[in-house]
Order: sequence, then C-alpha cells, then structure tokens
Amino acid sequence: MIRYSIRRLVLLLITLWLLSLFMFALQQLFPGDTLTNISGIRPSDGVAYELAYQHYAMSQSWLSQYWQFFQHLLRGDWGQSLVTQRAVFNDIMPQLGATLELTVLAMIISLVIGVPLGLYAAVQQRGPLDRVIMAVSLSAYSIPAFWLAQLALLLFAVKLGWAPISGQLNPLFNIPPVSGSVLVDIFLSDSHYRSAAFVDALHHLWLPVVVLSIIPLTLLIRITRNATLDVLQQNYLRAARSRGLSESRIMIKHVMPNAMQVIVRQLGLQFSLLMSNIIIIETIFNWPGIGSSLIKSIYERDYPVMLGGLFTLAALILLVNVAVELYHAWRYPQVRKELYAER
Amino acid sequence: MSGQCHDCSRISPWQLLVIAGFSASLVACQPATNDVEPLQQGLVYCSEGNPEGFNPQLGTSGTTIDATSAQLYDRLLDYDAEQQQFVPALAEHWQALDDGRRYRFALRQGVHFHHTDWFTPSRSLTADDVIFSFQRWLQPSHPYHAVNGGNYPFFTSSGLVNLIRQVERIDDYTIDFHLSRPDSSFLANLATDFAVILSAEYGQQLITTDQLQHIDRQPIGTGPFQFVEFRKDLLIRYQRHQHYWREAPYFEQLVYVITSSANKRMLKLLTGECDVIPYPLVDELQQLDVDDEIEVSSAVNPNIAYWGFNTNRPPFDQPLVRQALSHAVNRQAIIQAIYNGNARQASGILPETSWAFTELDQTHEYDPQRAKQLLQQAGYAQGFAMRIWAMPVQRAYNPNAQRMAELIQADLAHIGVRAEIVSYEWNEFRRRLDQGEHDSVLIGWVADNADPDNFFGPILSCAAAQGGNNRTNWCDPAFDQLLAQALAETVADNRRLLYQTIETYALQQAPLMPIANSLRFQAHRLDISGVELPPYGGISFRHARRVTAPIVSGEQP
Repeated sequence: MIRYSIRRLVLLLITLWLLSLFMFALQQLFPGDTLTNISGIRPSDGVAYELAYQHYAMSQSWLSQYWQFFQHLLRGDWGQSLVTQRAVFNDIMPQLGATLELTVLAMIISLVIGVPLGLYAAVQQRGPLDRVIMAVSLSAYSIPAFWLAQLALLLFAVKLGWAPISGQLNPLFNIPPVSGSVLVDIFLSDSHYRSAAFVDALHHLWLPVVVLSIIPLTLLIRITRNATLDVLQQNYLRAARSRGLSESRIMIKHVMPNAMQVIVRQLGLQFSLLMSNIIIIETIFNWPGIGSSLIKSIYERDYPVMLGGLFTLAALILLVNVAVELYHAWRYPQVRKELYAER
Repeated sequence: MSGQCHDCSRISPWQLLVIAGFSASLVACQPATNDVEPLQQGLVYCSEGNPEGFNPQLGTSGTTIDATSAQLYDRLLDYDAEQQQFVPALAEHWQALDDGRRYRFALRQGVHFHHTDWFTPSRSLTADDVIFSFQRWLQPSHPYHAVNGGNYPFFTSSGLVNLIRQVERIDDYTIDFHLSRPDSSFLANLATDFAVILSAEYGQQLITTDQLQHIDRQPIGTGPFQFVEFRKDLLIRYQRHQHYWREAPYFEQLVYVITSSANKRMLKLLTGECDVIPYPLVDELQQLDVDDEIEVSSAVNPNIAYWGFNTNRPPFDQPLVRQALSHAVNRQAIIQAIYNGNARQASGILPETSWAFTELDQTHEYDPQRAKQLLQQAGYAQGFAMRIWAMPVQRAYNPNAQRMAELIQADLAHIGVRAEIVSYEWNEFRRRLDQGEHDSVLIGWVADNADPDNFFGPILSCAAAQGGNNRTNWCDPAFDQLLAQALAETVADNRRLLYQTIETYALQQAPLMPIANSLRFQAHRLDISGVELPPYGGISFRHARRVTAPIVSGEQP
C-alpha cells in the first residue's frame, strides 16, 4: 500500500507541476502585457508595476520567470483581479467553499438515492419497477443540465414559489462569508437569527443541489445496477445460497461490498462530471462559487482571476481523483495486487 | 415481532437516509418565513450592474450614481425638482457676492460622518471637508487627485474645473468660492450628484496608513446610509447612518443585489426576492397580471436620445449631408416601435422638462424627397456608405439601440445611403467613441442638473469635444460663444431666448439628430413606498419604507 500511495502521490505532484507549466504558458499566450496577466498590475500603476517586474523576474530568462511564478503560486500570491484590484487567492477561497458545498451535497444525495435504487433495480431485474427506474434514469441522464435548471426554476421558483430564484441566502441576513459554504457560515456566525437563516439557506440550497445531483444520480443507478448484476452471477454467491444463507445476509455481506468496489472506482469520474456541470448551475443560480466567477472572469478578460479559478478547479479534480484511488486501493486490496501485477 | 424487526433492519439504514433526505428537502421547500426582524427592516434593490467605485466624482455611469450619491453622501445644496428651486443641504444658506463672481456658503453645524469599523470620526463636518472634496478634482497637485484613475469627467465637461478659481476657507463653517466669471449654472452644478462632500479627516488617516485608494472603495460620507461591504457581482450592503443630520432612514439595512439580466430582475421581483428593480421590462410586466403585487412607476427623466454624426469625418463634415440624413429618418415610427409610445418625439435638444423649453419644433421633419435634394446639392446624388454605431446596453433614454439602428438603416436606404450597423461591448464601445472611430452613433444624454446649459455644454461644446461627452466632435467657436453668452445672462427670460437661438443654430448645423425624450421606469412591490427617482440624478432610498398592509395603488400619492 505504501508503495502504491507514494506512486500515486508522486504522480499527483507531477501532474500539478505540469498544470503550473500549462498556466505559465497560457499567461504568455494571452493577449496584452504578460506581467499584467500574471499579477493583475497594469503598467499605468507606476511603482507597483516596477516592483512586480522585479518580483516576477521579467527581465530575466523564461526559466527564472517560471521559477518566480511557481514560487508565487505556492505562496498563495496569485496576483490581484484586474477588475476589483483584490487579491485573487483571498477571493477564491470562499468561492471554493461555496462550490464544495454544492458538490458535496449533490454527491451525497446521488449516493444516498442512487445506490439503493440501483441495488433495488438489480434485485428486481426485468421486473416492472426495474424498467421504470431504468427508463426514468436514462431519460433524466439525457437532459442537459442548463435546460433542466431553467425548467426547474420556472416550475419550482416562479410557478410554485417553493424556492427562490437565485443566491445562497436572503442578503438581509447579514452572515459574513468566512468559509463560503453558507451552512457552515451560519453555524459560525453570532447572528441572533441563526435558525431562521438556516431555514432560509436550505430553502435556497435544495433546488441547485437537486438539479446538480441529477446526472451523477442517474449514472450511479445504472452503475450500481450493472455492478450488482455482475456480482449476483458470481459462483461464490451460488455457493453461499447453497449453504443456506438468507437472501438478506447475502445482499449485505456479499453482494453490496463487492458491488461497492465498482461504484467507488467510478466516484472520481463522477466528481469530474459534476465539476463541469457546476459551472453551468452556479451561473444559472447566481451561486457565488468558482464556476460562476470563472465565467464572469472570461467575459471581463480578467486573466489573473481566470487562471486562479482554472488552477483551483483542476487541482480539486486531481486531488479528489487521487483521494478516491487511494481509498479504493486501501479498501479493496485486490485492486492493489492487480496494479502491482501489471508492472 | 422479531421477524418483522429483522425485515426492517435489512433496509432500514438506507430507508432512514432516504426519509431523512426527503424530509430535509420538505423543510427546504417550505416558504421561508418573512416576519423575521432583519427581513422586515431591510430593503433589497436589485441593481443592474456593479458600480465602478463608490465615489460619484470619478464617474458618469448611472449605475455608480444610483449606488452611491444619494445613499452615501450629501451635497452643499439639493435641487427640489417639484418646487424647481435649490434647497439647503450641508450648506444652510448661501449668497452671491461681487456680481456673481463669489459665492459664500454657511455650513450646517453638527453634521456627523459615518462611524465604521475602519474609520472613527473625531469631529463633525467643517469647511476643511468641503475644501478637501473640491480640491481633489480642482487641483492636480492634491494628494488624492490622481488616485483611482484621476478622471473627473463631470467637472471637466461642465467646465467647473475652469470656472472655480479658488475655494477659500473663511472660518470653520464659512467658505467662499471664487469664480473666474459669473455663471448662472454654478449652483445647479453644485447640486448635482457628482459634487459630493468627502471627509478630510478620513483622507488624512489613509495618507498615514498609505492606503489612498481606499477612499473610493471603503467610502466615508455624511449620507443617510453607510457602507458595509461590497462583493462584486453579488451585493452591496449599506446600513442606516444612526446619526444622520436629517431624519434617519426607515430601513436598517439596504442591500443592492446585483442582477444584470433584465429577465431575472423581473422574475425576482415577482417572487419577492427584490423589493425594487430599475429598468423593468415594462411590456412583459403589464402582460402578467400582477397589479395586486407590483407597481410600475415612471419618472420624468430629463434625457435625450440622439443620433450624432462624427463631424471630423467626411462626408459628415458638411452641414448639408447632416441635414439630409436628419430629414431621412422617420422618427414617429421609432417612437412607436422602440419606445412603445412611452416617449415623446424630441422637438429640439432641450426636453420638455427644462424651464428653457419652448413649443417651437426645432428639428428636421421627415421628408425623404428633401433629403435627396440636399444630398444632391452636397454632391452625393448617388448616396454613400456609412456606419451606425449602436449601444450594446439598455439605457433610460434608449431601450434598444440595435433595433433603432435597423429602422434608421431602412430609412436611409430610401435616399440611397447604405448603412452598416456596428456594436462593441459597452466599455470598449465608449473607449472607441473617445478615439473618434465612429461615423455616426446612437447614444443619448441624461441631464445632471436643471440648468439648460447641461444639455449643450457637455455634449456639443469644444471643451467636451476634447475630453468629454461630445460624440459629434463638433467644435464651432460661434456656438461656444453663444453658450458662454447664455451662461453669463442672469435674467431667466433673456436666457430662454438665448437658448432658442442656440437651438436654431444647432438645427442649422445639425451635428446631431434629436430623437426622443423618454421616461425612466422602475418597479417595486406594493408594500414598499417612498423610493424616490428624482429627475436629476440617482435613486434615493432615504424616504423608503415598508408599509405593513399592501395598499391599493390608487391610494398612493
């Protein structure tokens, strides 16, 4: 396991390093002044620009430029926004919190609903309920997220009034953003109206979370069902049955753990899918996360913010994927063995 | 019993989770309660965009003015549009001395500045603050002059920079403005949303901590609301200024939620997420039957939408060509198609709301035959090709410049002029206009004050052509002479006559074609009252309040 972990972590570091190289290349390729694209300081800023010129070693070879850039990146000094002149890193962290809140909740919902439904469909294979679940999940999977989000807004927010149209919380609840995740922030705040704010936050939260969870949910149903069906055909289950184990014991002790292995392996992939959808969902619901800020920075040609957002999203996806792989390998040793055998 | 339990436990963890999930979502679906205190004591205004900063001295954009002037700051005097007179604000009274070359202002005592986390005022307003605020844009050597851009477009284009020779402190509460010449628009200019008073003490504090640019980002003023936070693309939060020198506002909190999509603004007004919205989609709102919840109000807005010709570029340097083009456009059709009749066809550059307005029609009537003749005289019998620049954004004076350009394009085709429509992103658009890259442009002007000069000086004078809002780049010394003459005149009736002469001169020269004067709209929920949309300047929430029972719109004043 240690050897495997080290290999994964080294690979992660190399990928992150390649990512930083890629960002560095992008900065050179973006139109305009390269130093401005990196630091957000314009040539018209006088002394600050000259200082930055030295800090980023702009007069030296590209190698030392890259080295300076890399150091700034590690230090969390990601320059300042061209629009607001605020430090990019400090602005991105609460956005990351807001994005993670949506992602984690959507992931939990799709796991909590998707896995049992998949299991159930597999047990009822070719039964009427199985067909219904499969049909619904397939059609839900084929709906594009942006369209579904608009429809859900029209129905639940405008027509039924069950949810607000946008935002995290009624802004009149003056909850200071600390982590960016609205539920955590309410918990941390010392407002007198915490419970009312909490209800209001849930009220704002449920619709984007549900819409966001639809695609991983439908995929998880199908993956779980197929995995369970595979497991159900294994010989050891026949053996278990012939030994007279009850169906429930077989499901819990033998089928589920083995089916879960396939599901866990897919989680990293599901997460990446979720991240691409979250950009759309955040924009539609005006959620103050990285996705919507990334879109805005593209409109405004705010390169430092754009690069910061890109890097954070990419690093997040990489980290989660590695974490899932490590967990997978730790939890299911046979995977590890296969990997070593391949060598 | 045990068998049942066994059955239960088989699926119960999942079942429990599912049930928990569903019940959580049911809680979330419940409409949130509205009678919590903060929600009752706050107002949500869904504004159309991010302000450029929090100091109106630095900009002319309507969004910035709406977000700052009337909320954060006060001026020396205010203009009461209903009574058409100046009323005291930070100055209790004033008098003109030396034949109008000197104005003496007596300041109000005991006016408190905002007390915030980042600034604790040690004194109330004095003459030093007024001097600080004016010197910032008057004196290039002032420590704050170059901070945050250092452009003061209103003061440059209105000529105040050259008009005010000196600001002199007589004592703590008396101040003299020395003018280079008598100017009847001086008081009007001081009453605009741009001439705000900042805190000199705060300026000094920022110099000590070397954070000069904070003066426009974490503003301190004397206004009815004080700044709390600004989160770009999300919100601006203000709170009540407890020690406001007038009656403190009703709302404890005022939040601008930034909602750039007009459609979303309307929907959020419907769901009650916004209490007040600017620039509503009037037609769409009227089609929805929501009169019992929402009221759309309109205010007279002293504005003019016009089609300006870049007189630096041939063939627009010939008055004949400009006249011909003005004759070629059917403006009546534009009023119907673009404004849905919610505007008045302009009869000159001055709108109906100005006191110098006269009924005389000072525009070129729609006459394609005459247009063709004029083109022939100018030597363009075969017509020519040109470009019409159309604004990409919605403005009070022009809800849809693109569509308007298409109508004009069709009219021009009748006289043999082939027009092409051009547009850019708004900031880029203005930047390129400044560089004079356009043939002709569909744009407009909203007056900053009640003085008629505000409709000519800022958009047609030579000074404005050099570094202001003169999009025609037309610079005619004779015209400037007329403007100066009108400004020097103090008798209102004589001034009115002079402005008629000016209109006639502009009609003959036709640097621009006036199109329409329109209304500015806003929509609010019926339980909000007192949101003021003054004709000159930005929205004000000082008198806004929530009425407990929604009242029928007919009963509203």
